[in-house]
Amino acid sequence: MRKILLVEDNEANRDMLTRRLARQGFEVCCAIDGPMGVEMARRERPDVILMDVALGDMDGWEATQLIKASSATAHIPVIALTAHALSSDRQKSFEIGCADFDTKPIDLPRLLGKINACLASKAA
Amino acid sequence: MTTALERLNQFTDWFIPEDIACDRENRKQARMFLYSHIFGPFIGNTVPLALYLFDPTPGYDIAVLAASITAFWIYPFVLRAFGGYKVLAVISVQNLIFSILWSCYFHGGVTSPTLPWVLTIPLLAFFYVGPSPKMRTIVLSQFLLSLITFYFLYRNSPNDVGGISLGATQALGLVSTTAASLYVTMMALFYANALASQVELEGEMREHQITAAELRQATEDAQNAGAAKSDFLAKMSHELRTPLNAVIGYSEILLEDAVDENDANSVADLRKIHSAGHYLLKLVNEVLDLSKIEAGKMELFVEAADCGALLRKVASSFEDAARERGNRIVVELAEPLGTLFTDAAKLSQALSQILDNAIKFSSQGVVTLAASCGEAGQGRELTIQVRDTGQGIGKEKFANLFEQFSVVGDTSETKYGGTGLGLALAKKLCNLLRGEIDVASEIGVGSCFTIRIPMNAKDQPPAAPDATDVEAELAKAEAGIGQLQAVAKASKPAVSRDAPKLRKGGAANA
Repeated sequence: MRKILLVEDNEANRDMLTRRLARQGFEVCCAIDGPMGVEMARRERPDVILMDVALGDMDGWEATQLIKASSATAHIPVIALTAHALSSDRQKSFEIGCADFDTKPIDLPRLLGKINACLASKAA
Repeated sequence: MTTALERLNQFTDWFIPEDIACDRENRKQARMFLYSHIFGPFIGNTVPLALYLFDPTPGYDIAVLAASITAFWIYPFVLRAFGGYKVLAVISVQNLIFSILWSCYFHGGVTSPTLPWVLTIPLLAFFYVGPSPKMRTIVLSQFLLSLITFYFLYRNSPNDVGGISLGATQALGLVSTTAASLYVTMMALFYANALASQVELEGEMREHQITAAELRQATEDAQNAGAAKSDFLAKMSHELRTPLNAVIGYSEILLEDAVDENDANSVADLRKIHSAGHYLLKLVNEVLDLSKIEAGKMELFVEAADCGALLRKVASSFEDAARERGNRIVVELAEPLGTLFTDAAKLSQALSQILDNAIKFSSQGVVTLAASCGEAGQGRELTIQVRDTGQGIGKEKFANLFEQFSVVGDTSETKYGGTGLGLALAKKLCNLLRGEIDVASEIGVGSCFTIRIPMNAKDQPPAAPDATDVEAELAKAEAGIGQLQAVAKASKPAVSRDAPKLRKGGAANA
């Protein structure tokens, strides 16, 4: 079973996305802030990380940079999730090494497409 | 006094050629020149008149004197017709020297009653020629050479020259001195007025500086307010979208459950919640985008995009929506369209708004997306047309169509679910990309929206937000003040007491 790490501070969003991804047959683990996300990425070794960029003290960009800086977790594709459909956000997420970028609210078929694309390119 | 002076200035300015009038300092000299030439002969001719009356045997010399004084009236017309102010000034000074020394020669020599007029020579000469050292040297040399020539001519003259009676000399002296005083007073008054207007100019300059500083402050305030607004919007965006995400997401989960369980009632209700959530999200997004553009905070990312691919992608994203209303989307591209350098996402967004409208207002119809490119004023231009076979828009609605919260009709808003923001946003987006949007429509036949945007936004950076325009205006105004300062500094060292303060102020603002 493919494992997805969801880093999201909003409880409703976390719960919702966890349930919907679980229905699609993914194993989902959650982190509620940046440091916890970095820690769980190392411990759980997920196949894909969904990273909300608007977190608390340590934002999603910083957490992603830490994940990418560590050799143990650098290979895990990160999909950045942001509420702002800003081109600058998209650009920034690619600059710091995210594999993809998506905007909230989550369009599940679209997000699944992105997750599967990441898994496919990882396998290849 | 001021109005009289102004009227006088209007009169004298008629004689001043354009190339002199455009420079403040030159115009001032020319005005001085014209004053003395227009009024001078009136006062000056009192001398030959007095000579004629007091001299028991008036000779040709009086006629020559009168003619040489009257000749001053010709100068203004020559100036207007031919220009050549400097040459005219030198000739005029020579004319003046001639007139005065001529009357001195024939009437009393170095004790002549007309001698006080000699004082007017350097006075007028320097008024005419202004601060130029070269011109000053020329007129001073003229003056001195003429005096020397006069002295030798007079010394070697026959004794009978200049003989008039003592009584006549006294009367003539009275007339001549009075006239000369009157003349000098007139010129001095004019000079004093010119000085006063100089001081006024400096006052104005200081006022402009204060205004510029205030404007700068206002611009800064506006920018701060814009930044605050944009901050607020970013926060609100997050705050509004988070609960909306929950509404949309949970309704989707429940909808999936209901579909699985074949619960038709719940499916219908949940679809309503879901679509209401999406509608609200669309509205929030549109308001945020409009506000962002208005605050000048909308970022542009110019990139190369294949026109054909971009347009086909937008069209295909509307296929489902079109089918739902029984519409067909037809794409007509005059290919090859080539590559477009613009913010493709913003163009897609604008086009989507138009397509969305076209589909919404047509049913069982055809929506055509056509595009071609051609040469426009400043390079190649992409023309995109969206034609529909919908209900059409009345011409009276055209003017307000692209205004915010303008919908085709109150009833159609509820019927078609328009936010009234879509077209306003589309127009603002097009303008942001240096393009424009236009509409043509006929009731019952359909509408045609046309977007024209430059294909190379790289060459023409997108329109700057309003704040930058203000900055540019401000910079221009300050450059103008700098010039005023330079003029004031160059033309009037007498009031230079304040100058360092002014310069300092200017530097701080520059």
